[in-house]
Amino acid sequence: MTRRGLLAVLRTFALVALALSVAPQPVPAQKAAPAKKESPPPKAPTKPGTPTPYNPYPPGILPADLDSELERVLREIAVIYQQAVAEWRALPPPNLTGQPPTLQGSGYDMVQTLGKLMNFDRNISPFKNQACASCHMPYAGFSGPIPSVNLTMIAYPGSFRYRAGKRTAQRYTYAPWFPVLQLNETQQLFFGGNFWDSRATGYLLQNPDAEQAQHPPVDTQEHGFPDTACIVFRLSQAEYRPLFEQVWGRGSLDIKFPPDTEKICATPGGAAVFGTDTTPVKLSPEDRLLSNRAFDNWGQSVDAFEKSKEVSPFTSKFDAFLAMKATLTPDEMAGYNLFRGKAACNTCHVDGRGSTQTPGTGFDGVPATTTGTDTSHAATVNPLFTCFGSANEGLPLNPRDAFYYQTTPDFFGFTPNPFGFAYRDLGLGTFLRSGFGSAPNPNSEWIPFAPTSDGQFQVATARNVAMTPTQCPTTEAPGPYFQKEFFHNGYIKSLKQLVHFYNTRDVYAFPVTSGHCPPGTIEKVTCWPMPEVRNNLDMTTGNLAMTDLEENQVVAFLQTLTDGFTKPYPNRNTFTGTCMMGGSASTQGNESIIPTPPLPPCASAICGVAPFPTMPIP
Amino acid sequence: MNALLLTLAITTTVGSLLAFQPAAAQLLPPAKKAERVEITKGPDLELARGHLTIIRWTTNNPGGSDVHYGIVHYGTDPKDLSQTAKNPIRLNQGHTHTTFRVRLYDLTPRTTYYYTVTSEESNGTSDGVKSTVRTFTTPAPGEIIVGAGP
Repeated sequence: MTRRGLLAVLRTFALVALALSVAPQPVPAQKAAPAKKESPPPKAPTKPGTPTPYNPYPPGILPADLDSELERVLREIAVIYQQAVAEWRALPPPNLTGQPPTLQGSGYDMVQTLGKLMNFDRNISPFKNQACASCHMPYAGFSGPIPSVNLTMIAYPGSFRYRAGKRTAQRYTYAPWFPVLQLNETQQLFFGGNFWDSRATGYLLQNPDAEQAQHPPVDTQEHGFPDTACIVFRLSQAEYRPLFEQVWGRGSLDIKFPPDTEKICATPGGAAVFGTDTTPVKLSPEDRLLSNRAFDNWGQSVDAFEKSKEVSPFTSKFDAFLAMKATLTPDEMAGYNLFRGKAACNTCHVDGRGSTQTPGTGFDGVPATTTGTDTSHAATVNPLFTCFGSANEGLPLNPRDAFYYQTTPDFFGFTPNPFGFAYRDLGLGTFLRSGFGSAPNPNSEWIPFAPTSDGQFQVATARNVAMTPTQCPTTEAPGPYFQKEFFHNGYIKSLKQLVHFYNTRDVYAFPVTSGHCPPGTIEKVTCWPMPEVRNNLDMTTGNLAMTDLEENQVVAFLQTLTDGFTKPYPNRNTFTGTCMMGGSASTQGNESIIPTPPLPPCASAICGVAPFPTMPIP
Repeated sequence: MNALLLTLAITTTVGSLLAFQPAAAQLLPPAKKAERVEITKGPDLELARGHLTIIRWTTNNPGGSDVHYGIVHYGTDPKDLSQTAKNPIRLNQGHTHTTFRVRLYDLTPRTTYYYTVTSEESNGTSDGVKSTVRTFTTPAPGEIIVGAGP
């Protein structure tokens, strides 16, 4: 490292420490109270004989309450797991009948309950300390449940502490509605898939959500199993194995696992001991087939749960409004008219309605896109608020992302990100190239489209973007609020900021990285740092000429998309952590901003892979 | 017994929520292509600051693919507009008009540039529109030009 680089890193450490010292304080969910004295940074659990946890991070990157928060979430998961066990026990006896054989009457309940048990099973991880729900809890719309992680490190720690991924945990809600990833030949555009980079294509199971559920258990920085057979091994030991066999067939888990299976499955993927072997559990060909099938059934079961009314129920106020069973407040209605008019949100977050609008100009307080009033009728009863496409919205690089710091080998000899700050997240473009940090692209015909996909990420459904625990009723300061994180890299910390970003990204564009906005400006208010990736930057928005009030009205509308209005949202009240209070939504989380270090050029292993980007990525 | 009743209550309440929802992918068909696409406003300078210049113009809704590219051919010599910048925008099928906006990076300060604009579908099919050659002058370092209304 050069002297200049070292100084920059030291400066970063100092500012991280300073930022933490002025951060808003958490308050108990039920009752605001004086803030607790700041706890020391997390210390690795050091039981004798356990691997040394991975902590390559500068001070302040891992939140101080990380260990206690991880434990808190595991306690909440245990409660919901027991709830699922009770539901399973209460199921009627299976009645498999007919041709083809069908679980008459209770088939839906059985497969969905099975998926729920799996989702909240902490044993589906090498160290039996991480369930799917660890990053996807109901009260956050099945996204990230730890406010301090959402504020700081962005990605969640994996089963082997403290490896971490690189992106925010996407919400489950309505993920099953995304179609199999497809290249529309006429438009030459991609639609569908799951994950921010659409790498769960659905090509084999013809169900991207089911294939999505297959990735994290074998992602080195998430659950981290070294072999898909390890999931099946743990399922074969699960107390709910009888339900699995009732749903997927007697004998479906009758696999002769070798004696060393437990040892292998208790070692995280990426460990040097495995080399390039992706099937270290040595099974007979017949047992490998059984294991592969059960692994598919894992994904299909989790998908069934995510598709159930317990996760994706269409019970928002907006759904009630469409059914003419609720009235939007004046602000919500104004926000809706902005959403589908001046703000142009429904261009990508499709609301299932048409519009009849007139052009605007984008100058002098007039919107950049179009204005007008929707006079048409609803075309879709249950709009999903996504176009299933992908776009590059120009988010700045977020130096808080824990991924950048994982540049040294861990106890097992695995280095999550050898490129450090030379990593650039090209999203869909990297996936199409089968590139670093993504997954193999199963369709070679798509590779030529990588350059026009660089920097693009999936257009998430706007549904449940505002979902929070019952006790912390909003995402917005001054609260009491639940700190969430938005977009793929968590740069945005409130819905107010999210709308302001779309509204003013180009108005307050500065050629700086995050943490370096000029004096006299406020980052995320009057200064937007430059995009991490300039290629393919979507210009539908960025200068919408909305007023402060209009931004707030769009936020009010987004809050009508939260499930639980017509019926309580299950387990939304299981949060036992603390709400935040104080501050303003506009600058929410700004105390956690740290200066981006001088960025080295994008690594050639990322930006130098053919087909090359349309313009060089710095 | 109480524990059993509680279990049954939870099971009844939550179990009843477990039911599939209608699953229908909502890919909308591409919008009907306009018979003739024409620029109705601009092109104009929207913004010019040290590192970033934005050109914008509005056409009637061209229809066709969901994503269109706005394209700016530019240069400091009106006879040599050999530099190109392009950005995608996503059509709102319900809108009668579409605004294109394109970013030009790191232009030379205090310099007059010439440009024309055009647009195309995401599959490369031209919208059949090309503007006349227009001009703008970049600001001095540290200055910002915010485009006035047309």
